[in-house]
Amino acid sequence: MPELHTDAEWQAVERSPEFRELVRRKKAFIVPATIFFLVWYLGFIFLTGYAPDFMGREFLTDGLTVGYAFALSQFLMTWVLGWMYVRRANRVWDPLAARVRESVEGTTEAGAQPSTRFRRGEVVTEHEEVPQR
Amino acid sequence: MTYIASVNGTALAVFAVVVGVTMIVTYVASKRIATATDFWAAGRALTGPQNGLAIAGDYMSAASFLGIAGLIFLFGFDGFLYCVGFLVAFLAVLFLIAEQMRNSGKYTFADVLAYRLKQPPARAAAALGTLSVVAFYLIAQMVGAGVIIEGLVGISFPWAVILTGAFMVTYIVLGGMLATSWVQIIKAVLMLTCGVVLTVWVLAKIGWNPINLFRDARAKSAEGGNYLKPGLFLSTPLDTVSLGLALVLGTCGLPHILMRFFTVPTAKAARKSVIWAMFLIGAFYLMTTALGFGTRAILGQGAEKAVGETGNFTVPTLAESLGGDFLLAIVAGVAFATILAVVAGLVISASGAVAHDVWSNIVRRGRDSEGEEVWVAKAAAFAIGAIAIGIALLGGEALNVSFMVGLAFAVAASANFPAILLALTWRRFNTTGAVVGVLFGVISSIALVVISPTVWPGPDSEGGALSWYSLANPGIISIPLGFVGCFLGTMLAREPTAEAKFDELKVRSETGLGADPATGTTLTGGGTRRRRAPATATATMVPPL
Repeated sequence: MPELHTDAEWQAVERSPEFRELVRRKKAFIVPATIFFLVWYLGFIFLTGYAPDFMGREFLTDGLTVGYAFALSQFLMTWVLGWMYVRRANRVWDPLAARVRESVEGTTEAGAQPSTRFRRGEVVTEHEEVPQR
Repeated sequence: MTYIASVNGTALAVFAVVVGVTMIVTYVASKRIATATDFWAAGRALTGPQNGLAIAGDYMSAASFLGIAGLIFLFGFDGFLYCVGFLVAFLAVLFLIAEQMRNSGKYTFADVLAYRLKQPPARAAAALGTLSVVAFYLIAQMVGAGVIIEGLVGISFPWAVILTGAFMVTYIVLGGMLATSWVQIIKAVLMLTCGVVLTVWVLAKIGWNPINLFRDARAKSAEGGNYLKPGLFLSTPLDTVSLGLALVLGTCGLPHILMRFFTVPTAKAARKSVIWAMFLIGAFYLMTTALGFGTRAILGQGAEKAVGETGNFTVPTLAESLGGDFLLAIVAGVAFATILAVVAGLVISASGAVAHDVWSNIVRRGRDSEGEEVWVAKAAAFAIGAIAIGIALLGGEALNVSFMVGLAFAVAASANFPAILLALTWRRFNTTGAVVGVLFGVISSIALVVISPTVWPGPDSEGGALSWYSLANPGIISIPLGFVGCFLGTMLAREPTAEAKFDELKVRSETGLGADPATGTTLTGGGTRRRRAPATATATMVPPL
């Protein structure tokens, strides 16, 4: 298994502009999305606990309660946020992560052949998926 | 013995088919697995959709298949709250945990902690968290299996428990994670198909308009309009919030779910599998509306007796009224498959904690061979199975099942989740923090449940052992306590290596650099001799089954 050996080597990768860019881009989506889903979900939970009459109110049509519609919106939110995450991951984060790995391995991963690493002269094989560009 | 008289022949035949098919899968898997990666991670060669189905099969227990519809039938809206919590939880899994697990872990989530923390204490803490969650979850499932099989098929409770335990241990000892994964995939397909058939049938009965579910259910409920409102089951607001928190954060700490992310070749496949799981699990939970409200709408008060005190027999009662003895037998078989898939997943994750974390890395300090590790895992699976059977038989049918599942989620959210999240995100976090955090989480959630009204109903069935404490679910106190423990422990000690190694874990978990490769072992071939086969080999393989 390929290893960077010292903490300093890992630290160098962590401080590389490629890695910082990856983390920054991921945070830019994950932090707000996490806050959003927690607020929307806990809002539903708090209203269920503390405002049962509001959640039991029927609207639009006889039989459909605010609570059930709110619950359905949680399903929709989960699917939409999940889909948004995957879209960003495939289009933006995966290529960035591949760039970080390339910068370490000193070779492109095209062809997904076990590649030879250069650092410290040891020969290690690495197997990765072909990056989607 | 008297149990033979009441055995349902059709149900028994369906059982035999379920057992037969899963045993064939186990036999094939037993010929394929050769390495520890095959045994614990199915060769890391499942595809995203396959693992998505397996996650659905691993996650949705009898509580989801039978319990939630039962709660909805009995209490209306409140039952549906569980569906929402169980599903939204996967956003937390996707955003914070899934890909990081695949990138930096090997067989257990303790591997992730072990990159930066001192191995023996960190692994011991993770094993404690894992085994606590599995203990409560597993015993709940075993007792549930006994009660449900006794009720549906007529096999007596002790025999039902022993049979369930025996099959579960057989899957794991012979076929490891490869067999377990395919048992879970088969179960998920059966359960979803069963859900679709019942839902369409119910909708046909009520005139195809889903809103009629609510209108008819309300008309046929003794509670009238209140049936569609919150509060019939969850009557204490703070308890509702506490339960909601444990549901959404607990999934991130369930060891058998975390373990599933080690069975795919790449982070991309891990991500894909969560998305598949989200859609499959969400679809099933949507259908519980038709199953729960539908049973109320179609059968009304008349079914109250048949569904039992817990409502667990709601779906079987509905199936019998729609499709007679045959459909009842199918539902019984699916319920059995459901339980088998979940208990197998639980036991293999516990065997990982015992063999990989405790034996291999703490007792033997990594000096054992891979073969020895797998041998210990099989012995551990056997022992855990035997203990679970024993406790389920001793506790018997009277054991309160729902409080034990709730407790499992509370321990997972309070002990495992804080340690994993902080290890991945907080540079200052250290070994003392992980140990204190897990201890705080485990002890506080168990202690709070022990003094809760669920366990010790007071003399007037009002309040718990202590008059000032009335929470049934400990989450709202124990989850913050878990985080506080992590924080305090971290502040007690300075651990420069844990801080220096943070960079390594962060780079590994975000990029997949140095991730453990797949062996390429699947049910239909590949793998065993090609230990270092490239992960891309999966792309060319024929989909199994």
